[in-house]
Amino acid sequence: MSSSALPDFLADPEMPRREVRRRFLQSLSAAATAALMVNEPKWIQAQTSSQGVEHPKPTADSCILLWMAGGMAAPDTFDPKRYVPFEIGTPVKKIESTFPAIDTVVDPIKITAGLENVAQIMDRGTLIRSHVLPDLGSILHSRHQYHWHTGYVPPQTVACPHLGAWMAKVLGPLNPVIPPFITVGQRLEGVGESEELKAFTTAGFFGSEYGPMVLPYPAEAAQSVRPPKGMESTRFQNRYALYKKLIDQHPQRDAMSDFQQQSLLRSMENAHRLMNSPDRAAFDINLEPKESYDRYNVSQFGQGCLLARRLVESGARFVEVTTEYVPFLHWDTHANGHETLVRMKKEIDQPIAQLIRDLEKSKLLDRTLVVLASEFSRDMIMEGKPGSTANDQTTEPVDEIKAMKHYGQHRHFTGASCVLMFGGGIQRGRLYGASAVERPFVAIEDPISVMDLHATILRAMGISPKTMFEIEGRPFYPTQDGNGVPVASLFNA
Amino acid sequence: MIRIPLLQKVHTVLAFLAVTACQNAIAQVDFAHDVFPLFKSQCSKCHGGDESEGGFSLNSRESLLKGADSGPAVVVGKSRSSLLYEVITTSDPDKRMPPEGERLTEVQIKKIANWIDEGVAWEPGLSLAKDTYEPPLLPRRPDLPKATPGFEHPIDRLLQSSSNGTDITRSALKDESQFARRLSLDISGILPEQDWLAEFLKDGSSDKRTKLIRTLLADKRNYAEHWLTFWNDILRNDYGGTGFITGGRKQISQWLYKSLIDNKPYDQMARELISPTPDSAGFSEGIRWRGTVSAGQTVEIQFSQSVGQSFLGINLKCASCHDSFIDRWKLDDAYGLAAIFSKTPLDVHRCDKPTGKQAKPAWLFPELGTIDAELSQPERLRQLAGLMTHPQNGRFSRTIVNRLWHRLMGRGIVEPVDSMQSRPWNEDLLDWLAVDFAEHGFDLKHTIELICTSRAYQSQVEVVLDSQNQADYVYRGPRGKRMTAEQFVDCVWQLCDAAPSDFDAPVLRGEMTPEQLSQTEQLRGKWIWSNADSEHASSKDKASFQRSLDLEKVPERAAVVASCDNSFELFINKKKVLSSDNWESIRATSITKYLKKGTNEFLLSCKNAGDGPNPAGVFLEARWLDEKGKEHYFHTDANWQTSEQLPGKNGEFKGEVSWTAAALASKPEIWMNRIGKELRSQLGLGMQSQNWMVRAGLRKSDALQRTLGRPNRDQIVTSRPTAWSTLEALDLCNAPALDKYLMHGAEEYENKGMASADLVDTVFLRALSRKPTVDEKSIAIEMLGNGKPTADRIQDFLWTVVMLPEFQIVR
Repeated sequence: MSSSALPDFLADPEMPRREVRRRFLQSLSAAATAALMVNEPKWIQAQTSSQGVEHPKPTADSCILLWMAGGMAAPDTFDPKRYVPFEIGTPVKKIESTFPAIDTVVDPIKITAGLENVAQIMDRGTLIRSHVLPDLGSILHSRHQYHWHTGYVPPQTVACPHLGAWMAKVLGPLNPVIPPFITVGQRLEGVGESEELKAFTTAGFFGSEYGPMVLPYPAEAAQSVRPPKGMESTRFQNRYALYKKLIDQHPQRDAMSDFQQQSLLRSMENAHRLMNSPDRAAFDINLEPKESYDRYNVSQFGQGCLLARRLVESGARFVEVTTEYVPFLHWDTHANGHETLVRMKKEIDQPIAQLIRDLEKSKLLDRTLVVLASEFSRDMIMEGKPGSTANDQTTEPVDEIKAMKHYGQHRHFTGASCVLMFGGGIQRGRLYGASAVERPFVAIEDPISVMDLHATILRAMGISPKTMFEIEGRPFYPTQDGNGVPVASLFNA
Repeated sequence: MIRIPLLQKVHTVLAFLAVTACQNAIAQVDFAHDVFPLFKSQCSKCHGGDESEGGFSLNSRESLLKGADSGPAVVVGKSRSSLLYEVITTSDPDKRMPPEGERLTEVQIKKIANWIDEGVAWEPGLSLAKDTYEPPLLPRRPDLPKATPGFEHPIDRLLQSSSNGTDITRSALKDESQFARRLSLDISGILPEQDWLAEFLKDGSSDKRTKLIRTLLADKRNYAEHWLTFWNDILRNDYGGTGFITGGRKQISQWLYKSLIDNKPYDQMARELISPTPDSAGFSEGIRWRGTVSAGQTVEIQFSQSVGQSFLGINLKCASCHDSFIDRWKLDDAYGLAAIFSKTPLDVHRCDKPTGKQAKPAWLFPELGTIDAELSQPERLRQLAGLMTHPQNGRFSRTIVNRLWHRLMGRGIVEPVDSMQSRPWNEDLLDWLAVDFAEHGFDLKHTIELICTSRAYQSQVEVVLDSQNQADYVYRGPRGKRMTAEQFVDCVWQLCDAAPSDFDAPVLRGEMTPEQLSQTEQLRGKWIWSNADSEHASSKDKASFQRSLDLEKVPERAAVVASCDNSFELFINKKKVLSSDNWESIRATSITKYLKKGTNEFLLSCKNAGDGPNPAGVFLEARWLDEKGKEHYFHTDANWQTSEQLPGKNGEFKGEVSWTAAALASKPEIWMNRIGKELRSQLGLGMQSQNWMVRAGLRKSDALQRTLGRPNRDQIVTSRPTAWSTLEALDLCNAPALDKYLMHGAEEYENKGMASADLVDTVFLRALSRKPTVDEKSIAIEMLGNGKPTADRIQDFLWTVVMLPEFQIVR
């Protein structure tokens, strides 16, 4: 970690984050701070009404969500079953895992080959094998992703806020110049189901103030806090200086105090503040020392992990890093699953392990919750879960293996999937829940729903699942109807 | 248990709490968020609304301070002497409040104590009292107050006499150019063009403003393309979005565009949306998601919600799941509307669980008439359309005039605009506008003109210090309106001549007037079919037709029109361009983006239909302009080839295709007499569609528009953000798209070789409709340098101008 990029008090791991935040606020002028904290008028009236809800004491100040988009197959990643090597003629139903199991540093926990680096850090967190997803009657990845990210099954009568937007709204930024809700690695234009992705990559009715800063390419993230391409810094500064002069000389003086005018000027001031702040270096992964950079630079996802780490070091509240959802690509293996997963594991294994190690080294892991999850799991033969009405979605339906492309997890399975949680008060070296030993691999121990998983994440961040906002007269909670219950036993005593 | 009246003197020794210290260290208590919710959840059952146990009501600050007869419940500034504090902290079980259940937590008690100590601040508008206001349903025509000199206009008379009316004489907008800019942005959505602005400023006549209002409203295309955004929001229409991917959603773009061009009466629009034609069905059919959907979001319930919200400002979302807690609408009301739409029996669900009852078709205001459940679905919908637009349905006209007022004046007479059960701040004004609108044939342009011609509209905008205080709104003039995302992008394109050349809305822009039509060339295409006896073609006939077109260059303008008895799909270079299954519904489009240099393949895939032999034929004509402006033609005739094989979805055939010569249809007049003129008119429109600057509202949303507040139209969203966020400002500083537009403009100005001083004048005039002040000009010249500025400097200058609040806030 390049601690030189950090202000002193951020580099001090002993200092509680609340104190850090307070100092940040002090370091800004009162006006600018007010601008960041004030509730801008909302286009939809969303009134807070916390109903006397008391938030739990946070065990984490920041959250990184590592999103395995497209359905990460548990039997081929973190929940090994009977391994049957590739052989032409093998009946498909005989195969459970297409990767052999490997040991991890935690004695009974085994995961699958290709995740050797993650195996070495399993003592830093909890592995959940019983995350149960709903069966929505038909698999449309983006619809399940909407559900996972907002806690609500679409369609809804109101635009639901993303989990990150809840943190932005309820907690606000940790560092006022770093946007509190950032997504890394997902393009929202030019990919399949992009409209569906946009539908949940949003602050919904909270309004754009709490919306995501979208950074589709981690290597180019710095550009989003820099002057436009080709404009050097002095020119950019001059432009703003002259803008402010024009504002000062503006003939319509009486409109100066108008809230709309104020809001535009304040937002401009904030944007320039971020672009001039030393913290903007956090966005530039090219500033990372080469040795460290190389450890992450095995994939775009790896670069995203590096970016997330740098952002969290500078006080980001919520960062989502995704392997990117593109229909039929990456984790979305409708065919050729095994070979695709060999690649996917290479893309995630080293960066994830490095991220956890780096956060640990900088003592930020204790106050940073890292969650790895996916919209559902996969299975060789079963679509949905037992009793599902969903259509079989594999593109290569065969009863026995005839070619390599048939070898892999090609059906969407919702009965149990894996989640990893590190840091932020979560127990270390823990295995939680279990799936069946024999097919169907449904959760048989400690099933945990999206609602309760969210409640757990929110509890770590210090947000009650019963936090209520009123939208169009409807009470609205971060977990559906406020019913999420955190799994208390996942936390350190 | 004995209830001790709250204000009976309590002589209990209070338990001291650890939380009483360090009051100074914490920030002011936020009543709305910290205290009011506690009152609501903990106390309102006995001391809120109509309940006043022990004579004590918490409905308002006044009732709190008044307490009951024996004295106040709080001593302002002194929590320890306040009875309220006593009862929430006492350990005496007979005196404690709330009397049962959990006690307030220490934190909650501390908040109430601090709030009392800090002076019992109570935001206006917050009340536990039930809002007893029930909006009237029937239309009502209030008497217009007497006109006074300068206040002859009905709106001004209504405002002036209203108890809320302030002196609007003082605030009359003197500046003609600012009026013109406001009007242009409100009616056409773009900046005034310099030619008409100069003419307007020169005009010395006293009715010049009214003339300008009428001129701009008569500019049908710009009016339609600006207000399209407003209607797309209300009717949840877009060119991309959730649902389209699985065919679960339809656009109404063509129908809507044409309705706006024609200024279709609003009651007719509503009837066509509720009881739809294929072109307008997308609204009522909603979004059909793949997979299982909760009972509160089936397409039938969506129908109920959309009809309630769009036309009546009624929120049926709560009532779609259970009887609403916040207004009078019940589960049965939401399901009644849904059952009108439902083609099959509809089970009522409460909170996603079946109640065992079946919904009965019914509508919200039975006093105006009822739905006959025995009728077929289309007939029920027709009945609903009739009830919605019933002359006695004042709610219908009030809702839309309020939306228009909101759009033009910056704030609704009822606010928010989708919440029409709220009390208007001027009931007479709302009622009068609604009645006037209905009496003028539900003419949207009439009401827009009426508002724009008022002195009120033409006044200085109110300077709003704090937008939060909505409850005690007093009219002090129109409010500034933040440009919509589409408007901002349009104006930047206009200023920088940077609009893209294509758009996504499947519409032909503008209209074809009889004069224009008379100037277009006659059609040259022929009706053809696979065999000569096309008059008696088999109803099962299928045929493909093809011909290729060689182009030396891709033309800048090209369009095609086609029709087929009975249905066709047109592919150009294996891309689907048009389709229709009704020969009288003519399809035309611009085709520039489908054409390429070299050979272009035109392929028609056609089917006849019906029972027994009947006429079949297909017609296509394309035109394009070469760079010299000469018009060229390409059309169906005997030179086309035909085959019995039909192509697949992408216009590709499986296997070899054998082609033979197509035959001319034996009796083309059976079609031409009916649709010949329309074919010509549509083709002419297709060509002229490409004449004008593309408008952002005709394109799919993009990153910039999304950041600036264009909603994903997954839900009906009728108000846009009024303020800016930091993320938006970041994008305004460095979004590549905006940077590109501004550079385009900068290069154009650079190429003109203007000196800095002239450039500043020109840009100010174009962007702000005024000349710069001396100070502004010197700052701008400082930025641009003397002499002829470089593109970089011009780009920076353009940026500063479009970022001015004066540019982005319409006022």
